[in-house]
Amino acid sequence: MKPGLALLAALLAFATGVSPALAQYRIGMSAAITGPASSTYAPTYEAYKVYFKRVNDAGGINGQKVEIAYEDDRGEPQRAAANAKKLAEGSILMVNASTSATYKPFMTESEAEKIPLMFGGGVCPREAFPPASPLIFCSTSFGSKWDSRFALGFIKEQAGGKKVKIGFAAQDIPLSRIELEFAEQHAKEMGLETIPVVVVPGNTPDFTPFAQKLKDAGADWVLSWALWHVEVGVFEALQRIGWQGSYLLYGHQQTQDELTRLKAPSLHAFGGNTLFMENLPIHAEIASLVKGQTTHPAHYMAEGWVSAMVLEAALKKCGWPCPKDKLATAMAGVSVDTRGLRGGPIEWTADNHYRKSTYYKVYRWDAAKGAIAPVGGWTRLEIK
Amino acid sequence: MTQALATTVVVASLYALLAAGYVLVYRATRVLNLAQGDMMTLGGYFLFLVATAVPGAPAVSVAAAVVLSALSGFVIYRLLMRPMAGHPIFAAVLVTVTLGILLRAAIVLVYTDRIRHPLPLLGLANPPRRLPGGAVVSTLDVLTVGVAALLFVALFAFLRLSPLGIQMRAAGEKALLAAQRGINFQLLFALSWALAGFAGALAGSLYASNVRLDPSLGVLGLKAFAVALVGGLDSLGGVIPGALIVAAVEVLSVRYGDPLLADVSPFLCLLAMLLVRPWGLFGTKEELERV
Repeated sequence: MKPGLALLAALLAFATGVSPALAQYRIGMSAAITGPASSTYAPTYEAYKVYFKRVNDAGGINGQKVEIAYEDDRGEPQRAAANAKKLAEGSILMVNASTSATYKPFMTESEAEKIPLMFGGGVCPREAFPPASPLIFCSTSFGSKWDSRFALGFIKEQAGGKKVKIGFAAQDIPLSRIELEFAEQHAKEMGLETIPVVVVPGNTPDFTPFAQKLKDAGADWVLSWALWHVEVGVFEALQRIGWQGSYLLYGHQQTQDELTRLKAPSLHAFGGNTLFMENLPIHAEIASLVKGQTTHPAHYMAEGWVSAMVLEAALKKCGWPCPKDKLATAMAGVSVDTRGLRGGPIEWTADNHYRKSTYYKVYRWDAAKGAIAPVGGWTRLEIK
Repeated sequence: MTQALATTVVVASLYALLAAGYVLVYRATRVLNLAQGDMMTLGGYFLFLVATAVPGAPAVSVAAAVVLSALSGFVIYRLLMRPMAGHPIFAAVLVTVTLGILLRAAIVLVYTDRIRHPLPLLGLANPPRRLPGGAVVSTLDVLTVGVAALLFVALFAFLRLSPLGIQMRAAGEKALLAAQRGINFQLLFALSWALAGFAGALAGSLYASNVRLDPSLGVLGLKAFAVALVGGLDSLGGVIPGALIVAAVEVLSVRYGDPLLADVSPFLCLLAMLLVRPWGLFGTKEELERV
């Protein structure tokens, strides 16, 4: 570098308060990269790595590279607390892609350090919904209470005016139990007949006794909202003991593989992300980018990819330099075209950091076609 | 009720396969192998490994998985447990805890935490089977019960009839006397670890094919540990009633009580046993001090 240019760079750095060597967007991400829940969260971490490598290779955002510090919390609150402290230092945003058990330390740190916090991959916390906390944002496709509202509406619609009895299969984790206890109550308010929530320990060696309880109670439909192995474990046990009803579960990243494995037309999976079997151009793009770069297949990347798209849009909007308070303001007005990965855009406002509208789609195995098929199109719910 | 009975027998069989590993190692070496659950997981991944390499050949995959697991048991003894000879038992137990953590981490490194299903790779189906009385179980449930029964018959025959088995019993019951008779302790200890690996692989292969395979399956080993203690840690025969009791309490607590009790019921059984008969149903009273 010529002496004149070096001097100019030093003067610029002094004027903006940013050293040229440090001139980059610094983000901190804590994810359950390993641990029992990592099959749900590790793909988000992998999607971020691939996504921002591409962004940086293309010159970064507003001429600045995006540097993301990744930390593994295994879904454990103690590790999350240490990660939050570490990541808050020098970052302009923290991203959490982990279990709800890790949320509290991150929220505390976010509040203390006035640093925006985005949940991307884990269930959206109450603080992201209207009226939103100024620093809490969420890009994840699933959100408590709204998922149950959609699911129950879907079951009622499928019943077509016939009286149906609904059972609920929860996991022995607070989030799952709270969601399905809400669903049970909401179903009653909708005039649906319900069976008390059956809570299933995640470590059970055999799901049959729980399935038997649901079958004996006469469930026509069972709704499950839990980690994948519990959702599908109860379904397989119900199927084995000859239950003839229909099953609706939340479709995590495993959905495409598992609907194909089980080939069960009575198994319905609902969710906010388009399955890759729809072969949209964005799916092909992701598949080509992640090839050989990730341990999970391309169709596990949707959740993380959308979150990364939102972050990119927020950083673009923030401009440069982008201190944390400016980023929080920029995020509160972000609007992202998800290019078909979701049913519509993600739009955040000053008091809604979940999204103005959320979209759901249901898939199941179509025996006639020998393939997974959507059950209808997208359903839009307005978040107020 | 017949369904609850059938499920109890299936769950008990899985626990018995796992608990056999605890008892075999403990009887011979006096070490509590707290990595037994993870050895089961390892067996499941060996099955997945071979089934991926040689799809559609279940006999080859299962045989390779159990042989590899038995070999792993042998290697674990040779590399980790043998150097612990002469150290306090407590240190050896800690080594098994560390071993379990390492096995889990290694599995995650190689296979990630994704849930796997080896059954399609084996080219097998798992249709439901209706039993007399109306209960329904899966084909692999039936196989689990059969394999557990076979393993126990084979182990009893081996321990009672074969020279090596008799030496194992002798070493377990009167170590000093056996040593004076020139019994090769190192071989017997290695054999007990290999057998524990073998039993764990049977449990892991069956469970992975029947339900799922992921690195966290090792937690089932904790429930089987309760089974081994309820039956008596040095009694192979005690494993069977121990497994039936623990499984029955677990299944019935879901059926007639609070399903949440299912997860803690093995440890409630253990607690009750420790209060009433601390050495277990068929355990040796003198073993209590060692435990």
